[in-house]
Amino acid sequence: MNYLLCTLMEIPWLPKILAVIITSGIAFCIIISLLVLTVIALVLIERKLLGFFTQRKGPNRVGLWGVLQTTADAIKLLCKENIELKHADKILFTLAPIMAFASVIVLWCLIPYNSEFHLINSSVGILLYFFFASFPMIFHFLAGYSSNNKYSILGAYRGLALTASYSVSIIFSVLSIILITGTMDLDKIVLYQSHKWIIFSNVLGFIVFFITSLAKLNRCPFDLSEAESEIICGYHTEYSGMRFAMFFLGEYAELFVMSMLIVVLFFGGYLSPFGGYISNTFMGNCPISSYLIYFEQTIWLFIKTLIVIFSIIWIRATLPRLTQFSTLNLFWKYIIPVSMINLIIIFLVRF
Amino acid sequence: MLKQLYLSTKAILRGHYTVLKHLFRKPVTEEYPEIHPFLNPKFRGVHVLENCKGCGYCKRVCPSNAITIIKDDSLPSRYSIDYSKCIFCGNCMYYCPSKSMKMTEAFEVATSNKLDLSYDVENRRM
Repeated sequence: MNYLLCTLMEIPWLPKILAVIITSGIAFCIIISLLVLTVIALVLIERKLLGFFTQRKGPNRVGLWGVLQTTADAIKLLCKENIELKHADKILFTLAPIMAFASVIVLWCLIPYNSEFHLINSSVGILLYFFFASFPMIFHFLAGYSSNNKYSILGAYRGLALTASYSVSIIFSVLSIILITGTMDLDKIVLYQSHKWIIFSNVLGFIVFFITSLAKLNRCPFDLSEAESEIICGYHTEYSGMRFAMFFLGEYAELFVMSMLIVVLFFGGYLSPFGGYISNTFMGNCPISSYLIYFEQTIWLFIKTLIVIFSIIWIRATLPRLTQFSTLNLFWKYIIPVSMINLIIIFLVRF
Repeated sequence: MLKQLYLSTKAILRGHYTVLKHLFRKPVTEEYPEIHPFLNPKFRGVHVLENCKGCGYCKRVCPSNAITIIKDDSLPSRYSIDYSKCIFCGNCMYYCPSKSMKMTEAFEVATSNKLDLSYDVENRRM
């Protein structure tokens, strides 16, 4: 990124603002294409894994072993009609899915993919992440509110109640990491873990963060706001076609980016788990090995992320949905006190 | 409270272990149109007749009145079963005095026209 920017800046006839726009445009295109491809693959992986977990075969009709199933689904959703509601709040109804998806794209730009490629490199990266991560929930609420449907509004209210309960504990567990590393920069948090991953010094914080991130992602066992068997589909009951696809895409993109954040905060991010890099060991003298390291770092990040996603899908295949009362009970009575105790312990150990 | 926490954690982990075991087992899915499903030996499918004398017992015991027999002299000239009515209970086969009614493993009788479901059963002579 910086190398490309410097090269473009050195061209005498090119205005500097254009160089910045070209660089960010290229990076943004990379992230968007990565997002769409990952989400399509992720939906397929989830459906296949859920099939195997329940001794079924999963999708196996479109393409070889059903690999093109989600692509076909995406094309179907693009071609479908957008149903206009008569009594809905039309501006909010259209705006909600777009904004919910757009805020997830910003989250993707905040993650350090390797030591060079980091689109929004801010010293308060983690704070920005949670600022933008709160957006989808707000727009999910607005979607439910503007649909003028009782199931949508029920789902939206449930989502709000859940948000109020998990926000405190997720911030407390992140605070414990900030206390350990002494920085809010995601890049520096990754580099801090070059010798020892944070999970070894903050096990309780990881458990709290993992459970709350499940609630944040609306995943099983906390998928209250879109409980299919109770309130049809919750906030996106009235949505169809491309608008529904935006919610769907956003949901899975958020799942992936949240798993990446878990890896960045607790499992060393893009750093190799063995200390040295494979490309460095085998191609140490080769001139391209310094570039290969960047790719290897991204691959390590993705492998770790996929392991986290596997465990999330495993939980979905195992646990039933909690009721709203027991979810709030769990968060207010158990998770928040545990996260507070964890924060105090970390504070006492550090100072 | 600690005991409750221990028990619930143990139950959740056991559930996870059970689900993980399923990941390494063979799927139980039958890919029906390509692979014919396994059928019980006593499966009750489409009927066949062998040496039917046309006594009419089957018509009398049929709970859904699906059987029509037109007799010509002592033998039935036409024996038809309406598969839109038939519930495949097997009563006709059970009560047949000469054991000439049999039910095969064929079960794909679906058509797009309801009238096509009523057809004559062939009376084989052995």
